[in-house]
Amino acid sequence: MTEKMINRVFMLRACFSLFHIKTAESFQYRLAGIAGATTSIIYAVIEILVYGIFYKYAENSAGLLAAMDLKQVITYIWLAQFLFLMQPMNVDSEILGKITNGDVGIELCRPLDLYFHWFAKIAAGRLAPLIWRGSAVLLAGFFMPSSYRMALPVSPSGFLLMLVSLFSAFLLCTSYGMLACAIRLNINWGEGPVYMILLIAGVLSGSYLPLVLWPDVMQNFLVLQPFAGYLDIPVRFYLGLLTVENGLWAIGIQLFWIVVFIAAGRSLMNRRLKKVIVQGG
Amino acid sequence: MIFQTLLVVITDPIGLIFMFARFGSIGEWSVYRILLIYAIAVTSYGLAESFCRGFDYFPWKMIRSGDFDRLLLRPRSLMAQVAGSYFHLHRLARVASGLVTTIYCLQALKVSLRWLDICMLIMAFMGGFFTYTGVFVITSGIAFFSIKGLDWIYIFTNVSYQVTRCPMDYMPAALKYLFTFFMPMLLISYYPAASICGWTEDSYFKGFLALPGGTFFFLLASFVWRFGVRHYKSTGS
Repeated sequence: MTEKMINRVFMLRACFSLFHIKTAESFQYRLAGIAGATTSIIYAVIEILVYGIFYKYAENSAGLLAAMDLKQVITYIWLAQFLFLMQPMNVDSEILGKITNGDVGIELCRPLDLYFHWFAKIAAGRLAPLIWRGSAVLLAGFFMPSSYRMALPVSPSGFLLMLVSLFSAFLLCTSYGMLACAIRLNINWGEGPVYMILLIAGVLSGSYLPLVLWPDVMQNFLVLQPFAGYLDIPVRFYLGLLTVENGLWAIGIQLFWIVVFIAAGRSLMNRRLKKVIVQGG
Repeated sequence: MIFQTLLVVITDPIGLIFMFARFGSIGEWSVYRILLIYAIAVTSYGLAESFCRGFDYFPWKMIRSGDFDRLLLRPRSLMAQVAGSYFHLHRLARVASGLVTTIYCLQALKVSLRWLDICMLIMAFMGGFFTYTGVFVITSGIAFFSIKGLDWIYIFTNVSYQVTRCPMDYMPAALKYLFTFFMPMLLISYYPAASICGWTEDSYFKGFLALPGGTFFFLLASFVWRFGVRHYKSTGS
């Protein structure tokens, strides 16, 4: 029993240092971060422009003001550009390389749980761009001319809750990315299924269009589905659409889906690894 | 494969459609108008992506690994080799969805096509194909120097067709000029659409500018590419 505990501790430490190494490694590419931030900023400005036109000139803009006003949409767009960086867009290229050229075999020889090993790697791969590129985007958002500027959080408690749900969002994104990774272990399916499940997640996360602006009939479903936790829930806390009194369930939903994704990813991965075919030679 | 196609077809314009469902039309600009412009742009992007996928992957797959050295040894056109180094059939899904949307919108707008209009549409797609290929080629050319850090290319791929969501009459002049004279984005989508549907008082033949515009941009891009190749220093092992 105690030996098992000690193993656990060592595994955690190993995963942590993997996380550390990979973060340090990706911090080297500062220029890439700056290039990326420019893209995000221009993207955000164009989005704001389009929404501005819709809010000002569209036929039934008045009915909308109840759901979310333009100022809130602008803040949403900036935060979405920031949070979007956490979303798994594809299987981590290093891991994908290992799957396709057969290095999975080597990975399996390590005395580490492969799931958490890769989990740490994916998380680290996401964190560096989030900090570099993300902070540049946020800074730009705060220093834009006033009609493009993002607002400050509505209340300190809302901000704190946003931080909590931001952290859950990060775990949620990573665990979903790991699920995609476990699916990708089945090589002969190719890119297709992974591409699809990641695309669906991206659409339902609200980064295309804030979830509040989707058709009214879908609202209940949209809040309960896992991908609202990617960015919509944290942003709602920031904007004060969810508060301490009526919003804690949303963090519960995030936690629920994290547990589901980790369980699913782990069991799928273990099953796949039992009959994994090592490629290459 | 079929599901994937279907998914791309549904998700690509979904934000746009929901937005119009919420907000209603903007003056004369209905969802069909915007969707038509968007569909033309997406079709040509899809074409470029299908046939010149190699350029899109190039900076990531070939430069950093040093695989490009091998291509230099072969006695065939470099551009053709790079362009053909990857081919993804499913990328044609975007083309298919773009075409279907284009036809659907034209029907919804009650536009009857004359043969000249069809010519114009085909030329618009070709111009767009050249334009987007040009974007990939420029990126690859610059990748010879920067090796990594090419995310800004998305300004001209994904972001550029976000621009089409913005009704022309309300678009700020700076964007209009950037996407007309630097990258001929509006030439390949808005002007042909406007000419075919008769939205403007401008000359009908403005819509034919798509192909020359696209070709010109492509030539510019291949100039950057050739400059890059000449200054290529091998990386990787």
